[in-house]
Amino acid sequence: MGGWGARGHRVVPRLPRWCLIFRDGGDLEALSDADLVSNHLAAGGGGGSIWLQELFRRHYTKVVTWCLRVAGDSEEAHDLAQGVFLKAQRHLGAFRGDSKVSTWLYSITRSECLNYLRSRSPLNDPLDDDVAEALPDDPESRPERVFEFRSSVQAARALLDRELTDLEKRVFTLHYGDDVPLQTITRLLGLENPSGAKAYLVSARRKLARALPRWRACERLNA
Amino acid sequence: MAEARSSERSLLRKALSPSYTCATPLELGGLADGSLARSAAARLRDHVSGCARCQTELALLKEFDNAAPRPDEERAVSWISARLERRFSEASAGPSPSRTRHGAALPRRSRFVALNVGGFAVAAATLAAAVAIGLREGRAPELAQPSAAAPTVLRSAGITTLSPAGDLDAPPNELRWEPRTDAASYSVQVMEVDYAELWSAETHDASIALPPAVRARIVPGKPLLWEVVAKDAAGGALAWSGKHRFRIKM
Repeated sequence: MGGWGARGHRVVPRLPRWCLIFRDGGDLEALSDADLVSNHLAAGGGGGSIWLQELFRRHYTKVVTWCLRVAGDSEEAHDLAQGVFLKAQRHLGAFRGDSKVSTWLYSITRSECLNYLRSRSPLNDPLDDDVAEALPDDPESRPERVFEFRSSVQAARALLDRELTDLEKRVFTLHYGDDVPLQTITRLLGLENPSGAKAYLVSARRKLARALPRWRACERLNA
Repeated sequence: MAEARSSERSLLRKALSPSYTCATPLELGGLADGSLARSAAARLRDHVSGCARCQTELALLKEFDNAAPRPDEERAVSWISARLERRFSEASAGPSPSRTRHGAALPRRSRFVALNVGGFAVAAATLAAAVAIGLREGRAPELAQPSAAAPTVLRSAGITTLSPAGDLDAPPNELRWEPRTDAASYSVQVMEVDYAELWSAETHDASIALPPAVRARIVPGKPLLWEVVAKDAAGGALAWSGKHRFRIKM
């Protein structure tokens, strides 16, 4: 309850408990997210309060939409979104007010969704085989050759950043950095091309395969 | 081939995982909404411009912030939202124990009656004043009879970590998480941002002390990750927390 410093938004003074009766009847819609959090905590922060209900009501659509894209199924998405809001309710006292509530909710949603994906299909994505098959039969473009610059993770980061488009970077980061399956990435990023995220993964790897000889030549020159 | 692919995945994971200088979602949010201090925003913008990981996080954060259901999602989103709204309003009407000064647990309905202002007379006067100033009733709290709240159904098995998280003033003494009734033991790991292990241990409790040697390696400004996995009696993984970041403030 303590330590919640409002920064960059209207500060609601901590009121005696009886004053909350007045606030209950006030115009909830006029209160900012931060005000709602503050009032909820001032009222004890337990269970659900009208402030918490209003706060959640404002964010149902974005959290649910996100969870639906991750889960790809209404029932699973419901459970996932419920988990997000329960976690938010439980940890609202730790919200410090130095970010927007929606940003804080995003970090919870993101973490819950990644946990969900890991619990559902740890690591292996059958589409990876399709990606490998879609690559040209050229030894230089085989995965083990494309990413031989293992001496420097920093160099790999720079290469990925320089060679790939924004969308390819997103697909790469979600798939390889967070183990998100390609079908989920397709839904999450709203990709409407026939093969979805897979097409971006294939094109990105082709680009990296082409860029690698140039990269190595530069490295030799700089050595 | 399979070995090469696994090794490639591992390298890419390292290259695309948050680095030492990567921003947290909250920092990226500050950058997006302009609430970061100018110097911090400039430093972060400079990093983001060359970091695929942070660019992706920032784009996803913006997408989340503006998330609106696509036409084929609208029906499912309103159905789920309506269920959640019902569930959380039922939770507010249900028994929500709060403690009085004497420590007795009261249901939520009683809490508003047991005001901390000294009795019925003041409460009555307050109510009269509220009516006099035209209190709107449309949004009054629901003070229905206590009823059993909707059961919580969570198919996404996980562990909720309690601490440490975010920016800390000093190295944490211990790692804490919410216990799971079905867990026989927990496996805990502290690691660098590239997932290199710093320390790991097993415990039967929902917390574990960090040895002094590990605490000594937690230096200001350096982000670290930690993770806990719940195990059954046979040592099989039941649930895991995901990786959580923390660091000591500079």
